[in-house]
This record gives sequence, C-alpha cells and structure tokens, in this order.
Amino acid sequence: MFDDKTIPDLAVASVSSTEEAKPTPLEEEVVVLFDQMQARLLRYLLSTGVPLHDGEEIVQEVFLALFRHLQRGKSRRNLRAWVFQVAHNLSVKHYVAKRRDRQNLVEPGEAPVEDSFVDRTPNPEDQLVRNQSHARLQSVLRALPEQDRRCLSLRAEGLTYREIGQVLDMSLGAVALSLGRSLARFARAEER
Amino acid sequence: MSYKDSHLSDQELLLAADGELPPVRAEEVASHLAACWTCRVRKGEIEESIRDFVHVYRGDLDPLLPSPAGPRALLKAQLAERASVAPGWRERWTQQDVLRYAGAFVLVALLALLVYARPIFPSRQRFHVVPVSFPEPSLTPGVAAGVNRDQICRSMPPKNRIVPASLQRKVFEEYGIAGAEPRAYEVDYLITPALGGADDIRNLWPQSNSSAVWNARVKDALEDRLHDLVCEGQLDLATAQQDISSDWIAAYKKYFHTDRPLP
Repeated sequence: MFDDKTIPDLAVASVSSTEEAKPTPLEEEVVVLFDQMQARLLRYLLSTGVPLHDGEEIVQEVFLALFRHLQRGKSRRNLRAWVFQVAHNLSVKHYVAKRRDRQNLVEPGEAPVEDSFVDRTPNPEDQLVRNQSHARLQSVLRALPEQDRRCLSLRAEGLTYREIGQVLDMSLGAVALSLGRSLARFARAEER
Repeated sequence: MSYKDSHLSDQELLLAADGELPPVRAEEVASHLAACWTCRVRKGEIEESIRDFVHVYRGDLDPLLPSPAGPRALLKAQLAERASVAPGWRERWTQQDVLRYAGAFVLVALLALLVYARPIFPSRQRFHVVPVSFPEPSLTPGVAAGVNRDQICRSMPPKNRIVPASLQRKVFEEYGIAGAEPRAYEVDYLITPALGGADDIRNLWPQSNSSAVWNARVKDALEDRLHDLVCEGQLDLATAQQDISSDWIAAYKKYFHTDRPLP
C-alpha cells in the first residue's frame, strides 16, 4: 500500500568485495541487510525526534548487534522486525538519556526544551514555501500521541501489523485501532 | 465517518487495504467493495489519508537522509574488526549448544541425586535394614546333610559356598524382607557345609552386614574353629552342629572363651 520497496527475505546475498581483506559471509550478509534497511531505520528514528547524528550512531549499533546476534547462531526469524525492535529500544534509551541531560542542564529561568519527538516547526521562510495543506497535516502529525506516531511511521516503513506489535509491544488490535484513529484525524484535517 | 452496519467499517476497510484480513473475510470484503460504491469511496478516502501522511512523512524526512556510503564504510570497518577477533565463548556457543550442555548437566545432576541421595528418598519397596544377628528358629532350625566326620575332614570345602539367587530370594521372603537390598545381608548357612550343613532353606538365614559386633566375619571364625576341633578329634561333629545351630553366639563365647568377638 505504501509507496515503498518490499524488503526481500533476508537471505545471504553476494556482495562484491574488492577490499584487501575478504569479508566473511556473515559480514557480507550484515552489509546487505544494512543496504536494505538503513534508510528506513534512520527515517523512523528521525520521525521519533532522534537527531541525525545520534540516529546514525544508533543505526551502526543496531547492525553491530545484528552481527553478534547472527554470530551466536540465534534465530533468523523475522530479522526485519528484530532490527526495528532494537532500533526502537535504543531510541527510547536515547530519549530517556537526553531528557535526563536536559533536565540537568536547564538553567534557572531558562525554558525547558520541548519534549515532543517530532518538533519540526518550519521557520517563517519555509512556512511561506510550503502549502497550507502540508502545514496542516504536519500540525496533525505533531499533535498525535507518541505511540500513534510511531505506529504510523513503522507502517510507512513497510512493517506488518504483527511486526509493529512486536516492535512496540502492542496487540494486533491496538495497532489497527491506532492506525485507524490517526488516519481519521488526517481525513478530518483535510475536510476542513 | 460513521456508516450504517450494512457497510464496511473504517477499521475493516483499513485492514483490507493493508492486507491484514483473514483470506475468507478478505474475499467477502472484496465482493462487497465491487458492489458498493459508498464503501469504495470510503476506501478511497482512507487511501487518500495514507497518501497525505506518506507525503508529509517522506517529504519532511527524506531530504534529511545523508548518503549511506560513509555509514556503510564505517560499518564494514567495524565488522571486519569484530570478525578478526577470536570469538569468545558467547559467540562460539550457540543457543543450541547452551541448551544441550545445560540438559546434560541436569541429567548428570539427577543421576547423582538418585545414586547418592537414595537414603533421603526411600522408595516404597525399600526396606530399612533390620540388623539380624540371630536366625529365627522356626524358619532356620539348622539342617545337617548326614555326612560323617571323615567326609568333612577329608577335603576342605569352599568356605563361603555361593547360595543360588533364587534360594536367596526365598530366604528374604520367608524373613519378610523381600524388597531388601541384597547387599545389606549375607544369606548364610546356619550349619556351615564345612560342618556337614545341608543346602536346605531351613539351614539358611539372612545375616545383616550392618551388625557391628556379632556379624558374618565373627561367625566364619567360629565355623573354622569348630571345623578344626572336629577334625582334630577334640569335638564330635553332632555336638558342633548342635551348638552352632542352637545359639551360634553362645557357641563362639564357649569355644573362644570370651564374651566379645576377638579382633
């Protein structure tokens, strides 16, 4: 449904190697998976409010964890959901750590930094460029509860309801309700 | 966004659009959509909302994504570094290995428990070892084979003739210890064959090995003493048989001139 490429089953793919030290098949497999998924993961992380630099670090960490996971001979079932789940957990950990830092760093009298994950309020120049509909939808998106926003982002990255439920620790019914609720808000915004 | 029951709900339309309905229901929904303009329009509106969201989502975020070349090279370098390091036990041991070794360990522990902790968990058939130092006269009066002194002194019979297992079981049953641990008792001849005792169940009794004082070793010493006395002509065979079968401990005291077994 979403205009996105389907991730093929995570099979070992051949990657040409011109480097001096020939990578092991496992290294090659992980790099192939990185090529398939890094943009999706990073986009999801950005959508949750993780800054770009931190997001890139988290993505590296996710694939190193995947390497260890496969090296130990652990389950290969649904690696796509596994990768998103690790990224999600790291982003939550990142969020908690940043929040603690912010609370510690806020000077007396200084306004606290906005907690919202997605806070991409366009500056005045952008505001002029973007059309009204886009701005309205952005405001709807920003106003969504955090969990609903995460559901939408994961669905947009091609995850099934079951996979979303696994990543966010939600039931299938809760995922369906969340998505339906969010899309209804978008529909209402456009009716205005 | 509310519709009559005869139409599909928004939730169901979304599930259908996402391919999340069970196959049978998906077919029913497809048939309904083919026939129902209202629901097709609703489905179109949902698709439109999805399109709107994707437009905002990708439109805002895609321009922020950097080229993957740098992160890819960094990952390859980090993977090469990790792959060059000899894997520790965590990496070498797969989950199956851990389960296999844990299973073997549990099995060995259980076996050890069974072997060494049996006294802690006695089975129902298991009998406590009852020290038996005296034969029951009604069960084991002692039976002689009807041989004379010359016959027993001509050749030395084996000291401990092996009692057949079937006969041992019968003795255990007669003494009410059928489930007893065989090693805890020695089925002994009351009148030893060296003194003309018969292979008869009435001449056999279970002497417990746990008896600390008047045990099988002490009785063996008495049997040897009596055999020597008989063969030396100092004691007649019938008296020896009578003394050992009526009260072997008293006989020991009598012929060794002691109240306690000699070391």
